[in-house]
Amino acid sequence: MSRIIVVTSGKGGVGKTTTTANLGMALAQRGHKVAVVDADFGLRNLDLLLGLENRIVYTAVEVLAGECRLDQALVRDKRQPNLALLPAAQNRTKDAVTPEQMKKLIGALTKAFHFILIDCPAGIEMGFQNAVVAAREAIVVTTPEVAAVRDADRVVGLLEANDIKRMYLVINRLKPAMVEKDMMMSVKDVQDILAIPLLGVVPDDEKVVVSTNRGEPLVLSTETQSLASTAFANIVRRLEGEKVPFLDLTPPPEDFLSRMRRFFGQKP
Amino acid sequence: MTSDPFISAAGTPIVEQAVPQVRFKSEGDRLLLLLPLESEAAATSWADLWQQFKQRLNANERFWQAHTPVYLVARDRLLDGRQLQAIADALSDAQLYLKRVYTSRRQTAVAAATTGFSVEQQSPAQGFEAGKALAEPLYLETTVRSGVEVRHAGSVVVLGDVNPGSSIIADGDVLVWGALRGVAQAGAKGNLRCVIMALRLEPTQIRIADFMARAPEQPPDQYIPEVAYVALEGIRIARAADFSKDRLFPPES
Ligand SMILES: Nc1ncnc2c1ncn2[C@@H]1O[C@H](COP(=O)(O)OP(=O)(O)O)[C@@H](O)[C@H]1O
Ligand SMILES: [Mg+2]
Repeated sequence: MSRIIVVTSGKGGVGKTTTTANLGMALAQRGHKVAVVDADFGLRNLDLLLGLENRIVYTAVEVLAGECRLDQALVRDKRQPNLALLPAAQNRTKDAVTPEQMKKLIGALTKAFHFILIDCPAGIEMGFQNAVVAAREAIVVTTPEVAAVRDADRVVGLLEANDIKRMYLVINRLKPAMVEKDMMMSVKDVQDILAIPLLGVVPDDEKVVVSTNRGEPLVLSTETQSLASTAFANIVRRLEGEKVPFLDLTPPPEDFLSRMRRFFGQKP
Repeated sequence: MTSDPFISAAGTPIVEQAVPQVRFKSEGDRLLLLLPLESEAAATSWADLWQQFKQRLNANERFWQAHTPVYLVARDRLLDGRQLQAIADALSDAQLYLKRVYTSRRQTAVAAATTGFSVEQQSPAQGFEAGKALAEPLYLETTVRSGVEVRHAGSVVVLGDVNPGSSIIADGDVLVWGALRGVAQAGAKGNLRCVIMALRLEPTQIRIADFMARAPEQPPDQYIPEVAYVALEGIRIARAADFSKDRLFPPES
């Protein structure tokens, strides 16, 4: 059965699209057939990060309107043929699509792809509903900041109400030096509040910005191995079920409270 | 009772207090699913109603026998066929089944009947008593997350954390077997004897009756189980281990 995973956060600008692009590419590199779906209607940029903007002919909206077939809208990545992008419409409003339509669209993708990653828009309105309706798993991305964690917590609650039981946490843009000086929330601080399993910690890294501007996901570049690209590669292996030790940012040993939580039947 | 042909014969009448939020209540070997009044000032939207319903369902699953019949007390809430079906589906995922719908709205009764549920139409006033006694405690086995507000006309017990950005508003006590980091209000109807307890009391704000207290600017290095209660000078916090002694044998002042 295909795995349908929404990448979401609540707050904007925390790294959902970056995460979707890198995980999509890394999964494809490991031999999975992957479709990445841009559900950020009206503010699309997954195509930019993947460097596929100039190859878009049709979008999800034309597929739904019956103006083209699904495979005509899918943009195959020439560098990595296992990867395809279903672009969002740029010019139409986000109300152009309903949750029912989205469900049908994703359902059709499961016939040809092992992994379907959905890049969710910010917020918890209609666009969010569209992005999560078909998903069976969720990657919740947050930065180690109070406001981002608050929004992520809200989103976890909404995902629970949407029957998405498998949720994983990605903490993005961590600055270990700042955590050391007690100026930034630590991995443990974030986990303490969100209480969902940790999938990975991605350090803040200038190379992410460079790769974004080049339209070339970090995990694709072979010249330089950055800590961030290793982090994304590790996340993908954990998604596959492998136990990969966390980079040098291993969270401290289980404390009293998370033991307690496990006792209550929740995953720490 | 009306004489509409599609409305089934009466079952056991349901007499129930008003609820501020969606609530499950065990009654013998059946379960009542109570919805708040739609005509109330702060009417709950369907989206909020749904979230409350799912949260209560998920937070109490462990306590229910499989195949327990559920009686939906929809009161004056307008529900269409799709919404009723969604409720029935979610119940059946939790191995419960929707047995009958009670409603005071003709439209809801019609929707229920056409969707295939047995339904009983009640007159708006019927079956609801404005009780003075507190409702039985609301027991939640879950993390109460940001954006969620839990209101209950009795005490609230949470097995889990109450996160920043959420709030618990109880007419009785608030007991959190976990970290209380959100807003908690006990004795919301004015009862000064109500208390707030948590394994880890680091709330954004606590209120008891009309008293209010904020968390200290400087958080303590170590958290121990504590109780907040109202004393002469306002809200006081005591170690849980000392609290019952102090209450029963107040120290000479
Ligand atoms: N680990 C990181 N290190 C440095 N910059 C990052 C990192 N992750 C994301 N960014 C930058 O943050 C900005 C927002 O990222 P994006 O993925 O578009 O967020 P979202 O999709 O959540 O709005 C982009 O400019 C991106 O390059
Ligand atoms: Mg984005």
